[in-house]
Amino acid sequence: MATRTGILDGTEWSEDVPLGLLLLAAAIAAVLLSPLLWVVSSALDASDWVGLATAPRTLSVLVNSGLLVGAVTSMSMLVGVPAAYLTVRTDLPARRAFTILLALPLVIPSYIGAFAFLSAFGPRGLLQAALEPVGIETLPSIYGLAGTTVVLTLYTYPYVYITSRASLLSMDARLVDAARTLSHSRWAAFRRITWPQIRPAVAAGALLVALYTLSDFGTPAVMRFDVFTRIIFVEYNDILGGGRDLASLLSLQLIAVTVVILAVESRVRGSGVRTARSAPGMTVELGRWRWPAVLACLLVVSLALLLPLAILGVWYLNGSASASLDFRLGYVLNSVTIAGVAALLCGVLALPIAYLSSQTAHPAAWIVERASYVGYAVPGVVMGLALVFFGARYGGVFYRQGLILLPLLVFAYVVRFLPQAIGSSRAAFLGVSGSLEEAARTLGHSPGQAFRRVTLPLVLPGIVGGAALVFLTTMKELPATLLLRPPGFTTLVSYIWTVQQAGYYAQAALPAVLLLVVSAGSMLVILASEQYDIGWGRR
Amino acid sequence: MLSTSRRLTRRQALASAGVGLSAVLAGCVGGGESDGLSTGILDPEQYGSGFAGREPPGGTSMADLPALSGTLDVYSGRGEALVRRVMDAIRSLYPDLTLRVSYGSSSDMVNKILGEGDNSPADVFYSVNAGSLGALAAEGRARELPSELLSVVDEEFQDPEGRWVGTSGRARAIAFNTDRLAAADVPTDIFEFPDRPAFRDEMAWTPSYGSFQAFVTAMRLRQGRPPTERWLRGMLDSGVQAYPDEFALVQAVADGEVALGFANHYYIQRVLDGRQGAPLATAFTQGDAGAVFNVAGAAVTDTSAVPETAANFVRHLLSAEAQEYFAVSTYEYPMIGGVSPVGELPGVDELAPPADIDLSRLSDLGPTIELLREVGAL
Repeated sequence: MATRTGILDGTEWSEDVPLGLLLLAAAIAAVLLSPLLWVVSSALDASDWVGLATAPRTLSVLVNSGLLVGAVTSMSMLVGVPAAYLTVRTDLPARRAFTILLALPLVIPSYIGAFAFLSAFGPRGLLQAALEPVGIETLPSIYGLAGTTVVLTLYTYPYVYITSRASLLSMDARLVDAARTLSHSRWAAFRRITWPQIRPAVAAGALLVALYTLSDFGTPAVMRFDVFTRIIFVEYNDILGGGRDLASLLSLQLIAVTVVILAVESRVRGSGVRTARSAPGMTVELGRWRWPAVLACLLVVSLALLLPLAILGVWYLNGSASASLDFRLGYVLNSVTIAGVAALLCGVLALPIAYLSSQTAHPAAWIVERASYVGYAVPGVVMGLALVFFGARYGGVFYRQGLILLPLLVFAYVVRFLPQAIGSSRAAFLGVSGSLEEAARTLGHSPGQAFRRVTLPLVLPGIVGGAALVFLTTMKELPATLLLRPPGFTTLVSYIWTVQQAGYYAQAALPAVLLLVVSAGSMLVILASEQYDIGWGRR
Repeated sequence: MLSTSRRLTRRQALASAGVGLSAVLAGCVGGGESDGLSTGILDPEQYGSGFAGREPPGGTSMADLPALSGTLDVYSGRGEALVRRVMDAIRSLYPDLTLRVSYGSSSDMVNKILGEGDNSPADVFYSVNAGSLGALAAEGRARELPSELLSVVDEEFQDPEGRWVGTSGRARAIAFNTDRLAAADVPTDIFEFPDRPAFRDEMAWTPSYGSFQAFVTAMRLRQGRPPTERWLRGMLDSGVQAYPDEFALVQAVADGEVALGFANHYYIQRVLDGRQGAPLATAFTQGDAGAVFNVAGAAVTDTSAVPETAANFVRHLLSAEAQEYFAVSTYEYPMIGGVSPVGELPGVDELAPPADIDLSRLSDLGPTIELLREVGAL
């Protein structure tokens, strides 16, 4: 049976926490958390912060955000886990194509996705126009909780899909075959054998979904749902009305909610049940569910991928253009370079934290790992303003001359997206049996040598996959980019934003497609790395 | 017009910067005083197509303003697509000037300056609306501008304490379809619109759009909440159609989907420019919120180390060339007397905006959004 072998060997020697490693990881986490000091201090500076924090409006924002996070996270699991199962374990037709297509919605920025959804299903949208001849003049409103949930789910479920796939690929699926021969139904086999093994991975993906949902501004703004990010934005704009106080307070509340989510996920995730080896099982035959499954996958792909692409096509054909703002290929280079640097940094910085938390259950290690996730939920505009504050205060003339803006921007990306790299690297470390490293030690290698020569090669695909995820997310980040980019530094998304703001949609289409293509490239890296993920040496 | 001399005088440099300028423009403007127009600000094609017959702009040419030099940081809340030509023209005019422009939303830029405190690089804040300028000034971060700069612009369009000045303007207007309505059919009182039986299901608005919300804010500030609420409910009862943005709204009016709609005046010009001969015209209400006039403008920050250069830069935004550019290229209302608005638009002095509106309060959208929600418009 699936037993707690393998990794448990590792926890034996982890009783004594390597102090140097712990200090290094703690230092990284502390640096990541430092921008949040600004949020805390400005919230406490707010006049009447107790009154503001308990005002009915503040509370309704809290409730709305909670509902949205709950709904999007559940829906993402309901889409992501079956999608992963279908593409890993079954004879789904066109499986390879679906494997890629179902992951790709992650490359679409929410502000483009939500616009596409609105153009199609909103008032006076394509669907309504198509239905007008048959007498349907109005459609049910898509604004509010329901619409926001649908859109966010469509663009975030791939987090669950990717982590679930990696876990399904690495589990010992022969156990499922065994259960089936012991007359378990398919569902019972999934529930009793598969689910316990993939649960930590699903939880890790769901965590990324939940925190992303908290931090996303574009979708609730377009779909008009009052959650933290939207109200924080509105209040920051209300400078005369003293909105900045409320904005800081709401940011602080958002961080508190994040901490709760992190604690909850940690409990739900548990340690899971791990098998010593991974092995592919028999392919599940879908039988009469074959075509319904294809239809379901097609529906998701159409809504999440084809629809935004179609809307970009409409922009290109029908939109207007401005002569004064030509697109330059250098913008792509800017985006790729800065996202590449952020990805590289995240890949490296994630190592100590991921390794530490994979090797020990020590409370200090737990706190460090969880702390590094907090920045992920902080909205980009808050992160941008926090770094503007610190940069100007301590950067002196370097800040004034704009010389440290790019480093600050990269730092903002690292703080926001490092958790994506940590999650993937941690899973990779968990997949490497501690006994391998011990074997190397007994053969006379120092701990460092053993790590470099045995563990690192095994986990490298997972680390690369995590860095690629950071790259993709950085490519589409907008609010912090707008606040921190130096004068004259234009990226793909800042260009798209600029022309879209001016109403020149035709000019936004091509860069948007380029953004998707470049990001799709990194998605292929992610999918390629998962093939070798946990336990590739043993297959 | 092109000089082959290696050492260009400033005036020559100015002329040669306009390499792309069409002969049409050069011909109609002629030489002499007005060759300052040739700074390359204006899109020659556009200028050639619709505005060839325009009078040469009055006001002071950039060539006659004090030269700009050194380094200047501008935080622009106005979009790069709209103002980059102006910035490029100023750059090409002054080789000794390093002009660094950061673009973002106006309120982001104010928040950035406030967050940066004493160490803000910003010398000039260029805003899309008076609200953000008022916010910067209210936080004590805008410097009083020199009187020779303020004197260029009408007092209505500047801060009473002289800490910001308007650089171009936009009027709230009524777009109407000329196949469906005559100009005389369009009420001059905003409160009459909901009560006209002929307008039932024939009107359009954009409840989620910032400019529309600023107009409702003006109504709320002038008349108070109850009349504003009555007006909104009356509009809803008369079957007003909602559109996502005012460009789409004006297109719908031109298509005859609806007979009229509320929009900023320049959307009407933009649609007319794209679809010449469309049955579309502009009307204005008189002295009420329906005709609010808001400005884009600029302020000099209190922390600027080069306030004279910064103020001189703002003066360049009010030069003949820049004002002509705003008039014909972004279809805005110029702020100086010598330049007239495009098309058949009435001059700024012929408009009748409400006199008792503090423009810097129009960005107080919060209560307006609440009201729009309450009546079911949002």
